[in-house]
Amino acid sequence: MSAEGFNTARPMIMHIDLNSCFATIEQQSRPLLRGRPVAVVNRRTERTSIVTASYEAKARGVKVGMRVSDARFLCPDLIAIESDPPKYRYVCRRLKSILEDYSPKVRMKSVDEGLIDFSESPIDIQQRDLMDVGREIKQRLREEIGEYMMCNVGIGVNRFLAKTAASLNKPDGLNMITHLNLRQIYENLELEDLNGIAGGYGRRLRQVGITTPLEFLDAEESILVSQVFRSKCGSDWYKRLRGWEVDDLDFELKTISRQYVLDDREMGYDEILRRFHNLTEDLASKLRAQQVRAHGVRIYVKTYHAGRWHNLYRQNRAIDDESGLFEIVRGLLYTAPLPAYEIGVTCYGLVSADSTQPDLFGEGVRVDKLTSAIDDINQFWGPRTVHSADTLGLDQFMKRKIPFSSTRFIV
Amino acid sequence: MDDEQFLNERVEVIAVFGLGWKPCRPIKFRRASGREVVISKIGLGFPNERGSRMVHVFDVTDGQADYRLEFDAVTLVWRLVREADHVS
Repeated sequence: MSAEGFNTARPMIMHIDLNSCFATIEQQSRPLLRGRPVAVVNRRTERTSIVTASYEAKARGVKVGMRVSDARFLCPDLIAIESDPPKYRYVCRRLKSILEDYSPKVRMKSVDEGLIDFSESPIDIQQRDLMDVGREIKQRLREEIGEYMMCNVGIGVNRFLAKTAASLNKPDGLNMITHLNLRQIYENLELEDLNGIAGGYGRRLRQVGITTPLEFLDAEESILVSQVFRSKCGSDWYKRLRGWEVDDLDFELKTISRQYVLDDREMGYDEILRRFHNLTEDLASKLRAQQVRAHGVRIYVKTYHAGRWHNLYRQNRAIDDESGLFEIVRGLLYTAPLPAYEIGVTCYGLVSADSTQPDLFGEGVRVDKLTSAIDDINQFWGPRTVHSADTLGLDQFMKRKIPFSSTRFIV
Repeated sequence: MDDEQFLNERVEVIAVFGLGWKPCRPIKFRRASGREVVISKIGLGFPNERGSRMVHVFDVTDGQADYRLEFDAVTLVWRLVREADHVS
């Protein structure tokens, strides 16, 4: 490390963040919405929460997570639009393909965020001014996807500083953070503006008198380790803030889950079970698409009267078929406190489908063959062409939406 | 949210197939009623796989309303599937 511990290397990481992603894509796609307050929602009701708001809506106080009915008090002319996952998937793939023109090391961090590591780029690209590359990417986004598309581009020596740079001057910003302007950038930020510092860590930092990013930067490593984070995280933060890379990690797929806010709060056991069945079908197809099987299933229900309730079951045999998973879910749900307003299923204990032992007694082989035949039909004719009769009619309520966190199922 | 109409109306379309990133550009379409809609702007065009079928989706406007046209690459049929005027 240098004298002050800062990484003085040339910044080679670029973070690209689509601004108000889903709302901007909607405004791109539907020109009459441009310049107007738009909210993207996952369901066509007034009680649903806002997934993304356009800059025009945000300027009038509309926030992500707010109910549409509440947002209309602040912004009566708010236009709420149901999300359109195929469109967002397309934009995510196009963005990835643009980024891949600059480096073999590209990672989509989420549906609206991508990262380029230029350290493995061809030499002619490495020799270019990365600010110019950033401007070029913005231009290509407008040319190849649409003229209304905007993104923030941040360049830094590590992933953290690149993301921090991408969060400045929204929308349509382009910033670079180096060891030369690092202190100046931190000076203008709040603790919670730092990616990874939310309420909990913010409180811990304040408890030891660290109230600003600059104080965080100047804190001794030993204090961060022993008093604030009480783990190796303190050391990671010490390095991260100075531009050293600690976040170049790939995480294994550990769980696959789906949740659903019920369309009727007074729903009885049978109807809730059907909705669990639908989630289970979806999870089973995701397991098979990822070529993994699950040893365990965990379900939860959220109720007004008994809070959050969960139940789980783990077995020796790993499975990926919908009927096997649903039998477990049915057993787990039996003691749930109902009515509920939200339900969810998680498959855990994932192992590679190749590593699981075939069933000795033949029943498993028959199930595998049937499942494989159903997958073939659905692949040819489209998702849910063949599905359980139990879930007939649920597709209008239980549409598959875009996950914000993982692009594993998108690109 | 109530300003959208979902349709499945077969329409006649005049489109230009050219070069570049957006090789297909619908210019205007005639609805079943005989009304002609001249497209003033294409918002976004994207392919959407429906099983093994590929449907090309075009979100377009005539300046008065937004429309969604779908072109089935197998049957070569255009359909108008959505109309929205966003009048709050």
